[in-house]
Amino acid sequence: MAALLRGLRAGRALRGLGSVVATPTATTPQCSSLRRGFHCAALRLQDESKSDKPPSSSSTTYHEHYQAHSTEQDTTAASQEDSASDPAAETASGPNTSYQDQSGEQGEEYETEEQLQARILTAALEFVPQHGWSMEAIAAGAETLGLSSASTGMFYNGAGDLVLHFITHCNSQLTEILAEQHKQVQLGQAEPKETADFLRDAIETRLRMYIPYIETWPQAMSILLLPHNIPDSLKHLSTLVDDIWYYAGDRSTDMNWYTKRAALTGIYNTTELVMVQDSSPDFQDTWNFLDNRIQDVVNMATTAKQVECVVSLKNLTGLNQRR
Amino acid sequence: MAASMRLLVKRVIRLSHRNFNATAAGVSGRSGCCWGTASCRCFSDDRSTHFGFETVPEAEKAKRVYKVFENVAQKYDIMNDAMSLGIHRLWKDSLLHVMNPQPGAQLLDVAGGTGDIAFRFLEYVRSQQERQRRRSARSMQTPSWKDISNNYSTEEEERPQESKAVVCDINKEMLKVGKQKGDSMGISAGLSWVVGDAEELPFDDDQFDIYTIAFGIRNVTHIDQALQEALRVLKPGGRFLCLEFSKVTNPVLARLYDAYSFQMIPVLGEVIAGDWKSYQYLVESIRKFPDQEAFKHMIEDAGFYCVQYYSFTGGVVAIHSGFKL
Repeated sequence: MAALLRGLRAGRALRGLGSVVATPTATTPQCSSLRRGFHCAALRLQDESKSDKPPSSSSTTYHEHYQAHSTEQDTTAASQEDSASDPAAETASGPNTSYQDQSGEQGEEYETEEQLQARILTAALEFVPQHGWSMEAIAAGAETLGLSSASTGMFYNGAGDLVLHFITHCNSQLTEILAEQHKQVQLGQAEPKETADFLRDAIETRLRMYIPYIETWPQAMSILLLPHNIPDSLKHLSTLVDDIWYYAGDRSTDMNWYTKRAALTGIYNTTELVMVQDSSPDFQDTWNFLDNRIQDVVNMATTAKQVECVVSLKNLTGLNQRR
Repeated sequence: MAASMRLLVKRVIRLSHRNFNATAAGVSGRSGCCWGTASCRCFSDDRSTHFGFETVPEAEKAKRVYKVFENVAQKYDIMNDAMSLGIHRLWKDSLLHVMNPQPGAQLLDVAGGTGDIAFRFLEYVRSQQERQRRRSARSMQTPSWKDISNNYSTEEEERPQESKAVVCDINKEMLKVGKQKGDSMGISAGLSWVVGDAEELPFDDDQFDIYTIAFGIRNVTHIDQALQEALRVLKPGGRFLCLEFSKVTNPVLARLYDAYSFQMIPVLGEVIAGDWKSYQYLVESIRKFPDQEAFKHMIEDAGFYCVQYYSFTGGVVAIHSGFKL
């Protein structure tokens, strides 16, 4: 009992040291993952430490941290638990998902809260067709991971968190696919595509990711339009469009940058809307619509170049000058 | 004065013994002791803690708290309404909103006394289940034959777990009042009343989804022990919620609040419940409780993650929430 409480004091001192190291790194407002790592080490020391020497609790500066840390390692070495010092040293380097020789549950503690939340949301996705984009789906997902449904309280934005997580996941998948294609072209193993075709294929790939959830996708779209979700959803949309244009080879630095992205955003959003009410086999209508829209934009670009009054207008208003 | 002299003498005598138990008790006494004031520093084993603004031995605090609540049990709810002008209902409703329990959740309400939180929990979960049932019925307006036959086959296995609420309190009088209230409201299904000490809960590990303690934790002698017990009985992923009086940050409001607490509340206590001292203890114990940030650190120390607090009514009460991950 006494050792337990002394260990508590040791834990508190370690936490104090830990918070000094943690401040330089970026932390989320609610949970500091590095502190969690230290806290876990402190917990383990509290459980297993049999030594009577408490560490120097007065040191709070960054330099003294290393000395205190080494004394802590001495005490743990002296306390017959050699495995404790390894995690203690490892947590100093930062949050990680190391699975030590401890049991699997203690390896779990090294996972940050964000990673756990991501896992819960990924598990929740398979319940979306049944429950929709809602807290019930997240609760069902948490239960498959063995956590109680009360852990859904971690998601302050509820369904919005789930939808945004899914969008992020789709975007990163698309970026991987485009990067892979780009590599193929660089290696000469594939032909570079026409811009129009490239855009068409990219958008089709991206929209096909919605097919498993197409029944409930209108609900997801409405969630994304809620005022507190609009900044995040706009951010994801803009990064998506930017990525597609980048891999399409756009390196423009003038007004074209904006017009291209605006055009593609319009195409993407309208195609998405067509898709949610499309009932043709394999969404063929949607792809036809997409083809037509891209063709429209291409035509508009070529006619704009051909029409002379546009050039003189641009000269008059100074849009042609290099600034 | 004489009491504090006696404590000093005891401390001097015990210092000379210097056994490990003494230092351990001193540390635990410090954790239960008032934060900041030095009326009982560690090193000593007099194991004293605060009872309002008084300093009492730890063993005595539990007994005195028991007596306080035994006296006020009958008039507890009326006094709550009178003292907080009914706002305590809004605070408890906010606790439920923060909790947002899913159907099938198991609640443990410690220091639940007259059962306010448990009743609200059951109502919330039942209305959620109603909503879900209505939603699924709406989507099943024209079921195909396949759907109907599926329903027949899944009805046995799919029985979702009913939510249960367990109200645990150390004080039998409070539980009696709560049971009467429950019976008169007609809520008895899924509710159980257990006598138990927050520092040593009579439950197995990993039992409950949600652990709440509303306006009870400041009466516990060893708060960290209560937090450890909470961690123990919660399932992995379970949530700890604490609704408690806290520090008012706004100085103007703080002055008004202090004046109201110390002038009005004991008077109300005397007039309505006939008990000045219990309500004097109540307002003093509020002042002794750590503020939002300090309590948040205590919860994190106990091993909870993603600890957050929400202040209400300018800091008069705060809801702390933590997860067992």
